[in-house]
Amino acid sequence: MPRLRGVAPGLALGLLVIDLMGMLVLSVVTPSFLSTYNLFVTGRDLSILLLVALAQMVVLSLGQMNLSIGSIGGLVAIIESGLMVRYGWPVPIALVAGLLLGIVCGVINGVLVDWTKINSFVLTLATSYVFAGINLGITHATPFYHIPSEISSFGQARVGPFPLMAAVTVVLTVLLAGFLYQVVLGRQLLAVGGNQLAARLSGLPVRRAVVTAHAISGFLAAVAGTLLMAQLGQGQPTIGATWVLPSFAGPIIGGAALSGGSAPVIGTVLAMVLISLIDDGLVLVNADPFWVQFLIGALILGAVVLGRTRLGDIMTFLLGARRASRQELSR
Amino acid sequence: MALRSSLGAQIGGRLSRSALVRQVALLALLIVTAGFWIFFSVAASGFTSDFNLFSLLRFAAIQITIGFAQMVALSIGDMNLAVGAIGGATGMFAGWAMQTLGLPPEVAVLFALAVGLLLGFGNALLITWTRINSFIVTLATASLITGAMLILTHARPFSELPGSFTSFSEMETAGLPISPLVLVMLAVAAALFFLYRNLSLGREMLAVGANRQAARMSGLSVDRVVLLTHGLSGALAATAGLMAIAADHTASPSLGSDWLLASFVSPAIGGTLLSGGLVSVPGTVLGGILLATISNGLLLVNIDNFWITVFLGVVLLLAVGLDRLTRAAGGVVS
Amino acid sequence: MSAEPSALAREVRLEVSGIRKQFPGVVALDNVSLRLRAGEIHALLGENGAGKSTLIKILTGVYQPDEGEIRLDGAQVRFASPRSALAAGISVVHQERNLIPQFTVAENILLERLPTRGLQLVDHAAINRLAKPWIDMVSLEAAPTKPVSELSVAQMQLVEIAKALSLQARILLMDEPTAAITPHEVGYLFRILDDLRRRNVALVFVSHKLEEVFELCDRVTVLRDGRNASADLEVASVDQDRLVTYMIGRAEVISRLPPKPDPGEAVLEVKGLTTDPRDRGISLELRKGEVLGIYGLVGAGRSRLAKALVGEIKMTGGEVRIRGVKARIKGFREALERHRIGYVSEDRKQEGLILLHSVRSNTSITIWRRLRSFGQWIRRAAEDAAILPSLRQLDVRSHSLSQSVGTLSGGNQQKVSIAKWLAAKAEILIIDEPTVGIDIKTKAALHELIWDLAANGKSVLLISSDMPEVIRLSDRILVMRNHAIVGEMPNTHEYEEMSESIMAQLS
Repeated sequence: MPRLRGVAPGLALGLLVIDLMGMLVLSVVTPSFLSTYNLFVTGRDLSILLLVALAQMVVLSLGQMNLSIGSIGGLVAIIESGLMVRYGWPVPIALVAGLLLGIVCGVINGVLVDWTKINSFVLTLATSYVFAGINLGITHATPFYHIPSEISSFGQARVGPFPLMAAVTVVLTVLLAGFLYQVVLGRQLLAVGGNQLAARLSGLPVRRAVVTAHAISGFLAAVAGTLLMAQLGQGQPTIGATWVLPSFAGPIIGGAALSGGSAPVIGTVLAMVLISLIDDGLVLVNADPFWVQFLIGALILGAVVLGRTRLGDIMTFLLGARRASRQELSR
Repeated sequence: MALRSSLGAQIGGRLSRSALVRQVALLALLIVTAGFWIFFSVAASGFTSDFNLFSLLRFAAIQITIGFAQMVALSIGDMNLAVGAIGGATGMFAGWAMQTLGLPPEVAVLFALAVGLLLGFGNALLITWTRINSFIVTLATASLITGAMLILTHARPFSELPGSFTSFSEMETAGLPISPLVLVMLAVAAALFFLYRNLSLGREMLAVGANRQAARMSGLSVDRVVLLTHGLSGALAATAGLMAIAADHTASPSLGSDWLLASFVSPAIGGTLLSGGLVSVPGTVLGGILLATISNGLLLVNIDNFWITVFLGVVLLLAVGLDRLTRAAGGVVS
Repeated sequence: MSAEPSALAREVRLEVSGIRKQFPGVVALDNVSLRLRAGEIHALLGENGAGKSTLIKILTGVYQPDEGEIRLDGAQVRFASPRSALAAGISVVHQERNLIPQFTVAENILLERLPTRGLQLVDHAAINRLAKPWIDMVSLEAAPTKPVSELSVAQMQLVEIAKALSLQARILLMDEPTAAITPHEVGYLFRILDDLRRRNVALVFVSHKLEEVFELCDRVTVLRDGRNASADLEVASVDQDRLVTYMIGRAEVISRLPPKPDPGEAVLEVKGLTTDPRDRGISLELRKGEVLGIYGLVGAGRSRLAKALVGEIKMTGGEVRIRGVKARIKGFREALERHRIGYVSEDRKQEGLILLHSVRSNTSITIWRRLRSFGQWIRRAAEDAAILPSLRQLDVRSHSLSQSVGTLSGGNQQKVSIAKWLAAKAEILIIDEPTVGIDIKTKAALHELIWDLAANGKSVLLISSDMPEVIRLSDRILVMRNHAIVGEMPNTHEYEEMSESIMAQLS
């Protein structure tokens, strides 16, 4: 079994312990945490935001950024609901069209970054306004109500406490991890992120890797937008408007480096679980919902500071102590 | 003598190419802006009305000040993603100070500027202590600041600001349709122009932005420059926040949430290098005026609001594209 | 050119001849030739800037030559890209690591041809299996699954060699492989290279260390100033002195510099300075109005010494006295403002200058603090008045003070990077490799300027690996080798005599 590279075992283990402790605390403090409805609602939010975070992680693994994830998600949801509501397209065709649009938006980002060599932050900031502007032009800020019931009931469907849409996220997460760790192009993508010069000198297809990463990012954003549309039961133009922060929070807390080369899928999953727990906990204790934003900010700072200090080393040491000592002995 | 002539030949033209390109770019920006003014004067009825010019220039003044807050951070090669968060939080703070505490506007304004300065210092301390990229630090602090502001204010706006404060933005200047906010912006612009041209700190900022290592090896204290720069950026964001609440007559909790693009666009159009070391204060002013003109004019000719958003994105793309071209022409490799 | 007694003893695998490569403003290579044979290790020698890296980049397809031809197994070839050179069996192990740190040893070895099992799925088991023989061939004691970031520098080098071998490299270029590894690891590396020689690989070994050449190599080519100082000599037929002569060359026709006043009292005294466990304690004394030359090949510890004196590298032992007073220098600012020491870096583009900015800003950056009036204000007139004398003294040619430094010639850039310390009234100048990458005429002019500075009472610590420069310019010469001063001699400015005594210290 190949080891999942790009995952710092100490960090992932630490996040897992924190997640489990958080769940334990929440289930003791507020019994309603374990209620079917609460788990369903929390799981649904997590399903969507995890895709958002993975959309950012893919591009970060290349050493670039994508600020247009939210506006791609919003635009895709609007196009899909518009095609279904206004033009009466069948559901599957509208969805396929929407997801293709997400990929196209990503490809536009990737090609522009590769071609112009403009800093990806500024470039995707600019395209995010283009995508958001088109969204606004289509909707004039009014949602498309009454989307087909197949979609909205999918948004409410659950198996026990698990939302059905979680299946989509789980499948995509596994596929993404498989792509990055098991598929040649995925490895090439990470190689470009790890050392672009070396990748170029080894003759790897740098451009294809860049465009692919952005296309995947656009696709994941599109799926996230579609799921949120299903959850809301309408094509809201504001879908994606608040995704910038969670998109960075997940990968950064999960151990991604802005400089690229690492794709901590498990870390990102665990970080998003933590963020969902905080979100849910604050709701359950009736705290001000604005605490979420504050705490995510604190969490990002805390995580990166911890990663840069002795404290981080100590934590890694404590959590990974067994592993490390085994390695020492085997030398 | 042979030496003299061979060196002379290598140096080439009178004005260095990069400086020339920048002058031409600024002139082009001026012509484009003037072109839009002429176009809208003809095409859009009411564009030249006193009322419209007044609100256009006031809007431009706020946009430009937001751009200045980012430009200052860019000048040292950093970013400040918390410009909107600081502007929003200090605007709300000033609203609270005036409406709830009943402080006189002058005092509230001073306190708000101090809060902006301190928040900027906070960013700088995190950056210099942890050596973490300014992007991540200000992304996180933006979220912290906005979160804290929303928690403290319960997201309730302050809409009963003292008349003496709100009327400030409505006054005319010497009979011209110019809000005093425009004068505030111009004063800030003059101060920044002076800072980068004539003051030690401004020149140190540019040196740090262009080549941090060489600046340090010439005896500059880089950490001190980073601290003061982010402090200044915070204070400028606060200034923009105060201008915005004066113009809106209300301090709303969503203030600043849509400043990110605006903060980058004006400096980028104006020729400020995103990688640091080169700023243009007149360019940022012109960039902001161009943006405000286009937004205002397109609305007047009944072009959909969405086009303006699309247009902003495209303008930013073109501006950074030009930025790269400028650098290539100047023969400077980053 | 030298005689070639047994030139055809072995099959010639790669032959380059008449190579010329020009970059804007400088000819990097001129009529250079190199001949590599199967089963031999060929040393490529030369000081910094001699053109070794450019030649390697041409052989590996990174650059294309302006003139000249490359013959592989007798047939003329042209490498349009690094890929085509790789395909032809030419691999290079660079000084900077060309590995993906997050990837495993095995993945790095097979990076551009990861084995798959259908559907582009990476076959991790196959990667490890296929990489193993190459890992074993270079005797790398690391599991194929170990991430490269956890390896030592020497081990990373072995991964690169394994990677090159796995690409069926018939020609392997090693660019300063021993620069960053311990003596023990060097011995290990040499056994690997010797083994490759027996497998009939043609090897190029780039190094500054002559003893390594004699220990390992069969033939040697020396480059100097972009030309062949020697080509294709058998190592057995030369001795160390001769190689050194080839590397550093005869002095060009140099004019003697005019006499200057005798140096005065000591301004800088260093006793037993160490910065590193390898250091054996460096002691020296620099007098007022003196040019003290420190000569040593690259890696002798010269730049570390300079950086320790300005507080950039921490001293671990010894003491520094400035004008008789014990000093503990913590950084550039303190070095300048308290002790009047200025450091002219050898890397003027990264460390010395701000290329984007004007001549004015680059010169006055050191005195902004001093020029401030009313708290922060710098009056332009005062600024220009403060810097113009230094710029004039150094004869900086620019059209205006507003011209950006990046558009000046290399010589003028170097003058600006000295002028900024003069403007700050530095009394002690540490000048590190002042003429690297500067053409010969400008070099002579710079020498005169540095000499004038000393004649006017500045004290100059001149660090250089350019022997003619040191002999021309110094009052006294210290020879550095292996992080220690191995010799001190007054300079007679007689090239033959001085170069011989310096070489005696080096070997």
